[in-house]
Amino acid sequence: MSVKKIDAPEFEAAISKGVVVVDFNATWCGPCKMLAPVLEELSEEMSEKAAFYAMDVDDNQGVALRFSISSIPYVAVFKDGVKVDESIGFVPKPQLQAVIERNL
Amino acid sequence: MEQRYDIAIIGTGPAGISAAITAAARNKRVLLLGSTGSSDKVSKAHLIRNYPGLPEISGDALAEHFLEHLKKMDIQITDRKVAMIYAMGAYFSLQIDQDFVEASTVILASGVSFGKSLPGEDENLGRGVSYCATCDAALYRGKEAVVAGYAPKEESDARFLAEMAEKVVYLPVYKNADLEAMPDNLFPDRPNIEVRKSRPKSISKRDGRMVLETDEGEIETDGIFLLRESVSPDKLVPGLVLDGNHVKVDRAMATNLPGFFAAGDITGTPYQYIKAAGEGNVAALSAVSYLDRQK
Repeated sequence: MSVKKIDAPEFEAAISKGVVVVDFNATWCGPCKMLAPVLEELSEEMSEKAAFYAMDVDDNQGVALRFSISSIPYVAVFKDGVKVDESIGFVPKPQLQAVIERNL
Repeated sequence: MEQRYDIAIIGTGPAGISAAITAAARNKRVLLLGSTGSSDKVSKAHLIRNYPGLPEISGDALAEHFLEHLKKMDIQITDRKVAMIYAMGAYFSLQIDQDFVEASTVILASGVSFGKSLPGEDENLGRGVSYCATCDAALYRGKEAVVAGYAPKEESDARFLAEMAEKVVYLPVYKNADLEAMPDNLFPDRPNIEVRKSRPKSISKRDGRMVLETDEGEIETDGIFLLRESVSPDKLVPGLVLDGNHVKVDRAMATNLPGFFAAGDITGTPYQYIKAAGEGNVAALSAVSYLDRQK
């Protein structure tokens, strides 16, 4: 598994079941670019435990507004459609992995 | 893409210079970032009485000796500022202005010049307080934002934000000379930027909006951007663990991030030149043995 880029119309279906990690980002955001390969690695290593998606906040402002996102990168963890955790800003892989794992 | 450095050293005080000398002696590919005149804290010192071999030396003269030593070993100082350091796992990515440079290890020896956070700043970071206008501008479309720029170069970020936001209040938190040199009409092309010459005091939340208390009253807004010259080490290096205001290190000058070391005043007191130089040496040797283990 890798990180799949999605847009607002696919969002509800994507988060509906199991543990789902969504990386909210934007193209010009430096820390987002750095976090992308970290999430890519985690999506490979944790493919059996969680699904990974990425969403551009500039193209999907409604979703960003719904979760009151005011800083990116913003990683949200969903469990069966409900947001259960978040991580804001760049974080090294072990820390981000811990955020996901505490919700498995 | 340019080759990855073995060791990136940030800071050109005694710790950084000592680390660079030891790293270069071990034939490592070193990037030394900092002021080309050593650190202000060294060059402005009146008299240093406890640096072995150099009794009663002035700060100025000590800085000169340092720079001479670097020159003899053919070590260049790159006078550029690191905005962020990302721990990528097997290496570190250093953001220098808009460029990214990679290094296998990092030694942070940038001293303790960073100021304290404002009251309410840390709690609201990422929740209405941001350090990156270019990152978060898109989230402020049709909203209001306050930008506190701690140097004139931050004006371009306020301008960028104003392209998206409905209104931007810009606080030039400058040194006096810069403030005096500032034109009356700072953003003639951007009528939606209001300039207020006041200084931020504290940050709070009220009814879902942000409130910035300044020395000339409060400003209610949607987001507050603090664009500082130097930030605390855990903000410069996301994930780095501190011990109070200092970087937490062990006797090998290793931090919680594998491959990341710290030396000098940034690791804690005593703030002594010779202690800093000693730690720089230890940090470089630790970085060298870390590099050897990676092979």
